[in-house]
Amino acid sequence: MTSFFINTLGPLGWTLLALVPPAIIALYFLKLRRQPLEVPSTFLWSKTIEDLHVNSLWQKMRQSLLLFLQLLFVLLLILAVLRPGMEGQQKLIGDRFVFLIDNSASMGAKDAESSRSRLDEAKKRVLEMIDQMDSGDVGMVVTFSDRANVLQQFTDNQRVLAAKVRAIKPTEHTTDIMEALRVASGLANPSQAAFDEGDVQVAEEKPATAYILSDGRFPTITDFNFGNLEPIYLPLGDEASSNVGILAFSTQRNPEKDDELQVFCRIGRFGTEPDEVTANLYFNNSLLDVARIKLDGEDGTGGAQFDLGSLDVGKLRLEIDHEDVFPDDNVAYAAINPPSRAQVLIVSEGNNYLRFSLGTDQIRRIADVKIVPLDYLKTEDYTKEAASGRYDLIVYDDCAPENMPEANTVFFGQKPPVEGWVFKEAKVLPQIIDIAQSHPIMSFVNLGNVSIYKASPLEFPPGGTVLIESDEGALMAIAPRKSYEDAVLGFSFLVSEDDKTFFNTEWTKRLSFPVFVKNLVQYLGDVREGQGESSIRPGESFNFRSAGFAKEAHIKPPSGRVRTIVPTADNLFAFSETDQLGTYEVREGDAKDVSQYFSVNIFDAEESQIQPKPEIDTQWEKIEGNEAWLPMRKEYWKWLVVLALIVLLIEWYIYNRRVYV
Amino acid sequence: MAKTTNIVSDLLSPELLAQLERMELVSRKVFRGRMKGERRSKRKGTSVEFADFRPYVAGDDLRFIDWNMYARLDRLFLKMFLEEEDLHFYTLIDASTSMDFGTPSKLTYAKQLAAALGFVGLCRTDRVRIETLGTELRRPGPILRGRHSVWRMLDYLNGIEAGENVPLLEGAKNFCLRNSGKGILVLITDLMDKSGFEPALRFLSTQQMDVYVVQTLAPVELNPAEQIKGDLKLVDCEDGDIAEITVSRPLLDRYKRTLDAFVDGARTFCAKRGMAYMLANTEIPVSQLVSSYMRQRGLLR
Repeated sequence: MTSFFINTLGPLGWTLLALVPPAIIALYFLKLRRQPLEVPSTFLWSKTIEDLHVNSLWQKMRQSLLLFLQLLFVLLLILAVLRPGMEGQQKLIGDRFVFLIDNSASMGAKDAESSRSRLDEAKKRVLEMIDQMDSGDVGMVVTFSDRANVLQQFTDNQRVLAAKVRAIKPTEHTTDIMEALRVASGLANPSQAAFDEGDVQVAEEKPATAYILSDGRFPTITDFNFGNLEPIYLPLGDEASSNVGILAFSTQRNPEKDDELQVFCRIGRFGTEPDEVTANLYFNNSLLDVARIKLDGEDGTGGAQFDLGSLDVGKLRLEIDHEDVFPDDNVAYAAINPPSRAQVLIVSEGNNYLRFSLGTDQIRRIADVKIVPLDYLKTEDYTKEAASGRYDLIVYDDCAPENMPEANTVFFGQKPPVEGWVFKEAKVLPQIIDIAQSHPIMSFVNLGNVSIYKASPLEFPPGGTVLIESDEGALMAIAPRKSYEDAVLGFSFLVSEDDKTFFNTEWTKRLSFPVFVKNLVQYLGDVREGQGESSIRPGESFNFRSAGFAKEAHIKPPSGRVRTIVPTADNLFAFSETDQLGTYEVREGDAKDVSQYFSVNIFDAEESQIQPKPEIDTQWEKIEGNEAWLPMRKEYWKWLVVLALIVLLIEWYIYNRRVYV
Repeated sequence: MAKTTNIVSDLLSPELLAQLERMELVSRKVFRGRMKGERRSKRKGTSVEFADFRPYVAGDDLRFIDWNMYARLDRLFLKMFLEEEDLHFYTLIDASTSMDFGTPSKLTYAKQLAAALGFVGLCRTDRVRIETLGTELRRPGPILRGRHSVWRMLDYLNGIEAGENVPLLEGAKNFCLRNSGKGILVLITDLMDKSGFEPALRFLSTQQMDVYVVQTLAPVELNPAEQIKGDLKLVDCEDGDIAEITVSRPLLDRYKRTLDAFVDGARTFCAKRGMAYMLANTEIPVSQLVSSYMRQRGLLR
């Protein structure tokens, strides 16, 4: 590795190559002799070729010019095979190498003064290092972003390694090096890979060198011991680079005016420039609003709020007008989702007030309500629907199912069949002393003018919240169950005593009752109305449930073909091809309308922080970066091959002309 | 007798002989001959053709005094007449090995030409002498005169064999040593002398002779494309010199240029020195050469 030449052939190759020049010379001597022909005089012929024969040496050379050219050609090839080159300063340490290449979003940045992106620079350096590997050296290629990806296990095949490195594509993911380090250290430190203390170490420890090519923007390495792994950090990127990125972008209903949307964004500056940026807000690709955002002098962040009024379904895009090295985080995506309608099942008999409350315009707008009699609980349809999560909310009015359904539930006057819920002995005329006004279910509900004839104080499972507190105890509580919530009211609205049925409370006649019902439907029915849809990071999986039990969902990424996914058994769709930034459209089943949007954004301060870290922090030590990258070996063999080809061309030309020989 | 017939038909066909009988050698210069002949001579003599007057000096033959002139001018003038004498006609043949090429060989061609010209001379009672460049000083060629000498001439010509590889200059010198007289000299050669033809021609031009240079070239020399092909080692038949060539269009073009330059050089060289130059392609029959080309050049009339 240290010499001017690198031997690239084995003994057999050299033997074959060494046979070529003698073969050429032999062929030259064996070649067709000139036929002698007697002529009256060579006088004119000599004169003809006289000026070509300037001197005898040249003449002799000329006679075998083709031979010389052929030998020269072979000589050049032999030289090329020897791979001459100027030794660079950079040296590979050890004989086992792990190339950890960061391909997170920030590696796509093109620093000023550089014609290629950081990832391309990293690839170039790794290719140079692979080129430097001696025969017998083994290398492994791992890329890491938010996850590690082993592109190539240890191999001494440099061509495979180089091909894998060339195939590395940039991603928009965030950065986490831990997984990559564990993979890399797996063979170097077998003991760490053992799962239990008692595991017998079977693999031999093999020290390796880990070249980390990254901008260093990942969390501090904790809980990891490098052991036999020798880390060498090669920071990429220009320290002087600056970047402005969007850190957050979300939509929200105006809490005061329910029909108005607000958009918030937060922008961070990394570096010294600029003090102020212009943010353009687009709605379905047309400019909607513009704001000048001042960035704080100290922490470099700034924010803006856009009041949008009432907007329909659509996509929002926020762009910062600022040229920087990392353009991906200058755009953020969001969308206004169509309101999702709650699927509500009411199991009730004879409760007209409940029926009326569910008939309001408000409820009709946000929910599909189905009212069934108590018998319905016994039917097969119910069992199926309850188990499959068909409904968002099931209200059991003075009744209870045998098993809890896969849905949020409300129980009026009955104990749900769940451990933890206890109905204590019924008390007459409990006094309501407190309402959890802050809870969405009880907001704007006034029970001051409500009296209750008979109610049972409740005990609820851990994690529950009291919604209505009386002097006798909790009258209403809500408690989580799996991913659902159960709200239980300690009294029913109708009571039967002595074969007479009468109202247990006059709450149903009060104004607060429809409000309470609407709150129930809205909160437990999981109604999100035109709110900020979910934003995920690139590479994360997006999970959702279909409201209409679609058999499949079609997801249209910002660009590219539409993907179709099918749900798992419990109606859960999971979509993981979220590498592109932008807003994705979800259509369920055969529906033409978009049922929901979700957006993929970087929103990561570490990723937007574009200046490379000069060193990597670990729990115990700092790994200094090898700042200066000296070019590896300068290879000349390509030039030699080119020269050989030129010689071959000249030889061919002369052979065809044949004047001079 | 049969042999003689062969000789004649070999070198001179009867048709050509008939044609040649009517011809006459022409010299651009007027020379003094050796014997009384049919040629005008520089010498004043006894022909009927008036030449000049000159004042009478004592001792002059009184028979030649122009009495009419004396009557008019009262001075004695001698009336002079042109003398008619024979013409010395030399043919010098290059009999080197290189002349032995081509069909018919250049040497045969040269012999035919020499025979034709010699016959013309003999018919006009000129003094004809045919020699080769390699003729030894001690054994000069025969001097022929009169029609009856045709057989001797042809006999001599038949005796000439190729293989006298004498440099052009030496041959010319020897010739001049043997023949100091004046007259017409026809040099039949291919001029292929590695040391150059110029010295020899320059030497001849200083002699008081009317020199004609006939360069005979075979088709293989004039147009080698048809006979010379492929990778060849050309061997010079005289000195064994070797030239390795690979025939290609550019090479042939180059040869053609060299040949043209060579012929042009010879022609210019001769023209500058008052010699007549003529290129004879052996493909052209001698009869045609003699009857048209030579007449055009003024050697024959």
